[in-house]
Amino acid sequence: MAGFLHVTAGDLAAVAPEIVLSLAGILLILLDAFARPTRPSFPYLSLAAIALANVVGAVAPGTWFAGAVETSALTRFVEMIALGGAALAILGGGAALSRDAKNLGEFYALLLWSAAGALLMAKGTDLLVVFIGLELMSIPLYVLAAWYREIPASAEAGMKYFLMGAFSSAILLYGVATLYGRTGTTSLTRLLGLATGASPFAFDPLVTVGTVAILAAVAFKLALVPFHSWAPDVYQGMTTPAVTFLSTVPKAAAAVFLIRLLHAIAPSGPGEPWRPLLSILAVASILFGNIVALSQRDLKRMLAYSGIAQMGYLAIALATFSRDALEGALVFLAGYLVTNAAAFLTVAALSSGETEPKTLADLAGLGRRNGAAAALLTLSMISLTGLPPTVGFIGKLLVFRSAIDAGLVFLALVGVFGSLVSVGYYLRVVYVLWMKEPTREVPLHEDDVMAGAAWLLLSAGILLFGLFPRGLIDVARAAAQAVGSR
Amino acid sequence: MPTSFLNLDWLGADLLTTLLVLPSLGALVLAFLPKDAKGAILGVAVGVAGLTFAASVLLGVRFNPATPGLTAFRVSKPWIPRFGIRYELGVDGLAVALILLTTLLTLSVLLVSCGQHLTRLKGYMAAFLILETGMLGSLVALDAILFYVFWEVMLVPMYFIIGIWGGKRRIYAAMKFFLFTMAGSLLMFVAILFVANVHLHRTGIQSFSLVDWTRAVASGAWRLPAGTEALLFWAFALAFLVKVPLWPLHTWLPDAHVEAPTGGSVILAGVLLKLGTYGLLRFAIPLFPGSAVRYTPLIAALALIGVVYGAWVAFAQKDMKKLVAYSSVSHLALVVLGIFAGTAMAVTGAIVQMVGHGLTTGLLFLLVGVLYERRHTREMADYGGVAARVPVTTTLFLVSALGSAGLPGLNGFVGEFLILGGVFSVNVLWCAIGATGMILGAVYLLTLVQKVFWGPDLVPENRTLTDMNGWELAGALPLIALVVALGVYPAPLLRLIGPSVDVVVQILRAKGMS
Repeated sequence: MAGFLHVTAGDLAAVAPEIVLSLAGILLILLDAFARPTRPSFPYLSLAAIALANVVGAVAPGTWFAGAVETSALTRFVEMIALGGAALAILGGGAALSRDAKNLGEFYALLLWSAAGALLMAKGTDLLVVFIGLELMSIPLYVLAAWYREIPASAEAGMKYFLMGAFSSAILLYGVATLYGRTGTTSLTRLLGLATGASPFAFDPLVTVGTVAILAAVAFKLALVPFHSWAPDVYQGMTTPAVTFLSTVPKAAAAVFLIRLLHAIAPSGPGEPWRPLLSILAVASILFGNIVALSQRDLKRMLAYSGIAQMGYLAIALATFSRDALEGALVFLAGYLVTNAAAFLTVAALSSGETEPKTLADLAGLGRRNGAAAALLTLSMISLTGLPPTVGFIGKLLVFRSAIDAGLVFLALVGVFGSLVSVGYYLRVVYVLWMKEPTREVPLHEDDVMAGAAWLLLSAGILLFGLFPRGLIDVARAAAQAVGSR
Repeated sequence: MPTSFLNLDWLGADLLTTLLVLPSLGALVLAFLPKDAKGAILGVAVGVAGLTFAASVLLGVRFNPATPGLTAFRVSKPWIPRFGIRYELGVDGLAVALILLTTLLTLSVLLVSCGQHLTRLKGYMAAFLILETGMLGSLVALDAILFYVFWEVMLVPMYFIIGIWGGKRRIYAAMKFFLFTMAGSLLMFVAILFVANVHLHRTGIQSFSLVDWTRAVASGAWRLPAGTEALLFWAFALAFLVKVPLWPLHTWLPDAHVEAPTGGSVILAGVLLKLGTYGLLRFAIPLFPGSAVRYTPLIAALALIGVVYGAWVAFAQKDMKKLVAYSSVSHLALVVLGIFAGTAMAVTGAIVQMVGHGLTTGLLFLLVGVLYERRHTREMADYGGVAARVPVTTTLFLVSALGSAGLPGLNGFVGEFLILGGVFSVNVLWCAIGATGMILGAVYLLTLVQKVFWGPDLVPENRTLTDMNGWELAGALPLIALVVALGVYPAPLLRLIGPSVDVVVQILRAKGMS
């Protein structure tokens, strides 16, 4: 622990992106308070901070802060996802928030801080560092959930998310404490050393209790059934650009942490009892999420249930836990980021404002009024369904392939069944977009250059990663190898 | 000079890639054209479809039927090298025949659409071009994942074509089409991944290549337990039999056909259904010949039910499109029967009939569309005795109907005769039941012609009926010419598909005797 007192330059360089993001957030808050007129430049400042964080994030792999923080191809991968998610939320978010005169400096500061938390959570190899990262990531999101605090739905979202989040944090800490009580360490690397040494370790009751508690807390962040109940309300009440971030980045960070933890506890892959447990989470999420999404008429609620199902597919990869599966999980997460961001940003662009509910009916006739937005949303729905030639297909291909290679054909079958059910609601969006006459006039804002840039990036991302997935898969492969020698 | 231009050698692309890229590229160009520039939209769409057709003709000219297996125009580049998934293309005579059919029908459809009133023209044209890429891709892909990609790419444009430009119940029909097809193909997807896993463990090679797979099957390297093989066979076969569609999986077809716009129906009947039988010939039978032989009685029984049921139901229809749709159920069931009968004659007949049905049924839908465009009704009762008012339409319709009914001298006869002749040597009863389909076919098709074109001209609305315009003729005449030409002189087609037939027959015979 003495290492914490002797912080080296290398240590600081390892967390340079977090430092950049945090300082930028503080700067924005100060500017907002003392130099109001600079406000229109906030999106650009935030984007610049994200770009800078991305540049300084390219550090050599290694462990820092006496083994509490790790940089590797894996952390770099999460870094890209987190920074990308924040950048997309900002690109698409400014215009949406301006319409309600809610485009305040705090929005950007909170997003940057949350992204910093996600980075730290992914880099942490000590459970306490992970916890700090988790909290830094979550607390700004609690605030963002209640962004429109005068609207009951938003206040409810904030309250619900905060209470449930705090509860899950407590459970996580309980799990960490239990693990510490049994093993005397909170370091994942040292846990890994213990696990390889003694085989009964995996079946130790205290270790099991501790791991299950941490697993539950992470499943809460991933919104896996039965820890999903916050998601629809929070998605619905939260400001849409922030949901872009919430629905992707924390999930990526949480998933990568879970991969680390499972690897530390059971380095040769999660056999008994983790695989059945994860399989149950996967099957329950896929079935529940897809089936309940069928009956949703509110777009954001529908996307929340769709997100539950999508994380179920991710859980298939976690249950499989071969290196191919981890690679698939990372590709899936990257694909999920671009696909989901495309969905939420197009939803954010239409509507009379963030305060209005966004129902499926609002999309009617959009295909003729704004072909670009409708085309992007259509592309996103096709990708979420997992149809080629989109990145969503590539993610599912890798995940199902690894599951079948590991003999988990049943999970793959549940997965494709879920995909078939999901056609029912994803395709309904497409139907409303292009084939339904509008019932009421919903204003649409398309004059925003930044949102246009985000749309172009996203459609290119969905299609190009789908058509030429090689580069993405190579990067994900390098990242998956960083998990450990398996 | 023109050949090297069309080959796009100067772009570094091969002929098959050119075929795949051209239509999509056209769709991309269309996306950037202004909505109101009707002339430019039509020009680009028809131009691209024409170029694609020209490229496919070039393919047909350059193709040498003697090239063994699927090695002609072979392209093999890594796509996802990590998992041995390759961008692997190649054709045999069967694929070339269907490619020509596909590009010709697409061109016809787009030509006919030029002369008709369509809303949202740009999207309509783009959808057909993307669909064309999907269809051609399914025909040339040799990598199973690549094949699956193209197979699914066909879904979305067809969903749009039915859902946007379709009739009253278009949404229901489009959704049903989508769900039925996808349910089948998702099972195939899992089966593909499973087979690749088996292949990896048995041979140590990571490959999704159909060429590698069939070689492993031939050498018996997979050693699949019979139960597993049966499950895999059905996972593949269901995906294709839904598309065919074989009774009792056919229920999406009448809905889709009735609601689809003319062009959609033409492509659906002309090409998409054939991709089902193509998949059987290319994947399901070569990969799992043991199961194919084992389940032949079951599939033959379903096919025979389909032949009679389709014809019987077609006979009872009042809606022209529905009648033609059910006739497709009947005709395609006969094709499936021919394929599984497994003699050289029957399989040849099946493939000839695939092409023939594509032409004649495509024409029938196209001509029904011509009438519908003018009168906005497809009820036979709303017509009658219009032969004098639309002599050209009448003539073409009669030729198509007779071709479909299997009149000697037109190409429908060649296919059906060969199928029945081939089936006869396997099972006389099958042949007898199958032949009733031909008889009933003549009955309902001639009834259709009689009710619509002949008899007393009593309906006053028909007085204003005009004959086909130039665009419609341009789309229909090449098809009619082929119906006649291939009926009188089918030898080029038979030569083209001969080696493909031999491959399938050998595979089935090897299993049948062991």
